[in-house]
Amino acid sequence: MSAATHVVPTASPRRVSPRELGEVGALVLLVVVFTALNPSTFVTLTNIRTVLDQASVPLILGVGATLVILMGSIDLSVEGVMGAAGMTFILLSDNTRKTVDLGAGAIVVALAVGLALGLLSGLLHTRLRVPSFIVTLGVWFVGLGIATLLFGESVIPFLPDGGIKAWPSHHPLGVPNSFLLALVIVVAGLLVARFTTLGRMAYAIGGDEQVARDNGLAVDRYKVLVFVVAGGCGAVAGILATMQLGAGSATVGVGNLFTTIAAVVIGGTSLGGGRGGIHRTVVGVLLLVVLQNGLVLSGVSPNVQSAVSGAVLIVAVAAAAWPLRDRLRIVT
Amino acid sequence: MTTPAALRLDGVSKSFGSVHAVRDVSLTIARHEVVGLVGENGAGKSTLLKILTGIHTPDAGTIEVAGSPVRFSRPQDAVAAGIGVVHQEQSLLPNLSVAENLAVHDAGPDSPTRFGLYRWGRLNADARQVLDRVGSRVDPRTLVRDLSFVDRQMVEIARALRVGERAHTSPLLVLDEPTAVLDRDETEVLEQEIASLKEVGSVVFVSHRLDEVRRICDRILVMTHGELVADRRSEEVNEAEIFELMIGRRADARERSWTAPAAAEPVLEATSLRRSGRFADVSLALHPGRCLAIVGALGSGREQLCRALFGAVGLDGGRIELAGRPVRSWSMRSAVEQGVGYVSSERRVEAMVGGLSARENLALAPRGTRPAGSHDARRLTEQWFERLDVRPNDPDVALDRFSGGNQQKVVMAKWLTMTDLKVLILDHPLRGLDPDAAAAVNAEIRSACERGAAVVMLPDTLEEALETADDVLVMRDGEITARFDVVADAPTSLDLLERMV
Repeated sequence: MSAATHVVPTASPRRVSPRELGEVGALVLLVVVFTALNPSTFVTLTNIRTVLDQASVPLILGVGATLVILMGSIDLSVEGVMGAAGMTFILLSDNTRKTVDLGAGAIVVALAVGLALGLLSGLLHTRLRVPSFIVTLGVWFVGLGIATLLFGESVIPFLPDGGIKAWPSHHPLGVPNSFLLALVIVVAGLLVARFTTLGRMAYAIGGDEQVARDNGLAVDRYKVLVFVVAGGCGAVAGILATMQLGAGSATVGVGNLFTTIAAVVIGGTSLGGGRGGIHRTVVGVLLLVVLQNGLVLSGVSPNVQSAVSGAVLIVAVAAAAWPLRDRLRIVT
Repeated sequence: MTTPAALRLDGVSKSFGSVHAVRDVSLTIARHEVVGLVGENGAGKSTLLKILTGIHTPDAGTIEVAGSPVRFSRPQDAVAAGIGVVHQEQSLLPNLSVAENLAVHDAGPDSPTRFGLYRWGRLNADARQVLDRVGSRVDPRTLVRDLSFVDRQMVEIARALRVGERAHTSPLLVLDEPTAVLDRDETEVLEQEIASLKEVGSVVFVSHRLDEVRRICDRILVMTHGELVADRRSEEVNEAEIFELMIGRRADARERSWTAPAAAEPVLEATSLRRSGRFADVSLALHPGRCLAIVGALGSGREQLCRALFGAVGLDGGRIELAGRPVRSWSMRSAVEQGVGYVSSERRVEAMVGGLSARENLALAPRGTRPAGSHDARRLTEQWFERLDVRPNDPDVALDRFSGGNQQKVVMAKWLTMTDLKVLILDHPLRGLDPDAAAAVNAEIRSACERGAAVVMLPDTLEEALETADDVLVMRDGEITARFDVVADAPTSLDLLERMV
C-alpha cells in the first residue's frame, strides 16, 4: 500500500443527501394520497392558496427556530413573543378600541418588542448560563403576560374590514401575500445561514461549542444574535397572525410551538444541533400543513388530526435516528 | 552575517507554587530545522510549549524570535510573532468546511469573511493554496467531520502554518503529539508531510513515539524534571539511549520475563462471529492467563470485533461460549456480569466519567458487595493509586483533571479491581502514553494475566504486540488471516505485516 493513496480526499462535499430527498418524497406521497381521496377539492387553486396561507406563519417561525436549534439550543418562547408582538401591533393600529394609530409605526414597535424578548432570552441564556430550554420557557410566559396586560379588561380590539386585515390573503401575484412574506424571510434565512458569519457560527456552535470557544470565537455574542433573530421572526409571525385573525388576542400564537419545533425536526434538523438547515424546515412545514389540510378535507375529526400529527413527528424522528443506532449511543 | 535562529530561549524558567515546571531552559532552533522534544508525562514539555505559545508567561529568561526579543503575555502575541500551534486536542470545528476552518482566525479588511459576509470563492481559493503548500489534497469544501484523522491533522497543520506565515515569512510550527490518535499507516503519511515542512519553516515536534521522533527530526531535545538534559543529533542516538535519557535508567530488557500458562480450558470461546460489513467467520478462544493481541490495518474490523466481544455492538451471527456454556443474549450488561471488562480507545468519551472523581470512577465496575464509600473500598483505591503510581496521588480529584496517562491507569484499575475479572478487552491501551506510563500499564496487563484473566488487546504497533502478547491474531478485511503463538512460532513484525496487507 503506497502512502500517497491516503492523502486522496476521503470525502467529497455533498450538496444533497438522500435523507433530504426522503422528506420531499413523503410530501409528494401525501399530495398524491390526498388528491386521490379528494379529487375535486384538494388540488384546486383556492385550496392551494389556503395551504400556502396556513403555512406562512410556521414558515416564518421555522426560520428562527431552525437557527436556534442548529446552534444546539431551543426556543420555546414563540407563542409568547407572537402574543406580545401581535397585541402591540393591533393596539398601535387603527382598531375598534380606538387606542392610537401609528400606521406602519405599529409594525416597527411590534418588531422591536419581539427583538427585545429575543435579546432577553439570549442574554439570560449566555450571561446567567441558564439552559435555553428554561430561559425561553420563562420568556414564553413573560411574553404571554405582556400580551394579557395589553389585552386588559376592555373590549376585544378588531381590525377594520379590508385594508391590512385583508392583506395576507390577497393574491395579486397569484399566491397569497402572507406566503410571499414568508418566502422573503425564508430566502433571507437561507442567505444568512450560508453567507454570513452569524449563520456559519450557528452551525459551528451546534457542532462543537467547546471547540468553538477554544478557538476564541465570540460564541456568546452569536448566541444572543441568533435569539434576537428568532425573536424578530416571532414578532413578524405574531403581526401576520393578528392580521389573519383580524382581532387582537394574547393567545394568537397558540399551537405554533408544536408546529414549529415539529416541522424543524421532521425536516431533519437535529435537536442536538449542528445538522440540518432552513431548506429542510420548509419541507417539514409543508408536510405538516398539507397533512392537516388533507385530513380536514377528508373529513377526519380534529381530535384525530392532532394525534396523527404527533405520530408523524415520532415516526420522522425515529426514521432520522435509524442509521445512528448503536448500543453505546447516548440518547437524552 | 548568518541569519538569526528561528527561536532562541535563554534561561527560561516557570514555576507553579513550589513546583519548578520548567527550570533554566536554553535552546536554539535554526531556520528550516525539525526539532523533536521528548520527555515523560510531567517532564515539563507541556509547560514549555505553553510558554512558546503565549499561554504561560515565563518567570525568568528571554525568548528571541528571528533575532529580536519577544514577550508573550497572551496567545495572540505568539501568533503575531509567527508561531503556529497544533494542540493535542482536536481544535477544528467539525461542522464547518475545511476552508472555513482555515480562515477562522482571519480578520482585517482583506479577509474573505469581511463584515460577517462570506465570499466563498475567495475562501476556497485561499484554502486550496495553503493546503497545497502542506501537500494535502483534501477538497476545501469538505466538512471537517467527514475527514479522516490524518486529513484533519493536515488541516490543523495547514492552519498553524497560515497563522504563522501571516506574521513571518519563515514561521515556527509547534506540533504537540500530532500522531497520537493515528494508526500506523496514517502516521507514516503524516511523518512525511512533517519532514517536508522544513522547506517552509521550522518545526518543534512533540511525540511519545521515539522511533518516529528519530525518523522525522534533525535534532532531539530531552526533558526531565523541567530541565533540558540532552540535545542530540538524531543520527547520533538510538531509541534505547533516548529512553535512558528520559527515564534516567535503561529501557527494560526485551526478553520476556514471564512464561504464560499453556492454553487451558478457554474462558471465552467465540465461533464464526459475523457482523455484516465489519467482520465474518471469526473464531477465537481466550485462555486464562494469556494475552491475545489482534493486529490489522485500517478496515480490518478488529475494533468492531472487540466491541462485539464486549456486547457493545450486536452480532449478525455466531456463537459465544463462556466457560463452555453458550450465552443466549449477549449485551454489555451481561458481559460485565460475567466478568468481562473493556477499555475503549476513546478514553475521554467512552471509558471514563470525567466529572466524577478518580475514586468514583474506580468504583464504577462491580466489585462484589463492598459499597464505594466503605472503608475497605477507600483503602483499595489508595492501594491502587500507590501501585500504579498515579499522579497526583489524590483520588478525590475529578478524573478529567488528570493527564492522559494517569487517566488510563485509573480506567484500567477500574476493571483490575473487579473481584472476578475473567476477560479484559483493551482497545489501544497505550495510545498517547509516555514510555513510563506505558510500562506501568503493561505491568498491569501482565498481572491481570497472572491472576488468571484472559486479556485481548489491540496494540498500536506490531512491536507492542510481539512484546506484550502471548498469542497474536492477524486480521485483514474482517477475516482472520493468521494465528501465531509468540513463543512457539516466534513471528517477526514482517510475518505479521505480510498477513495484514
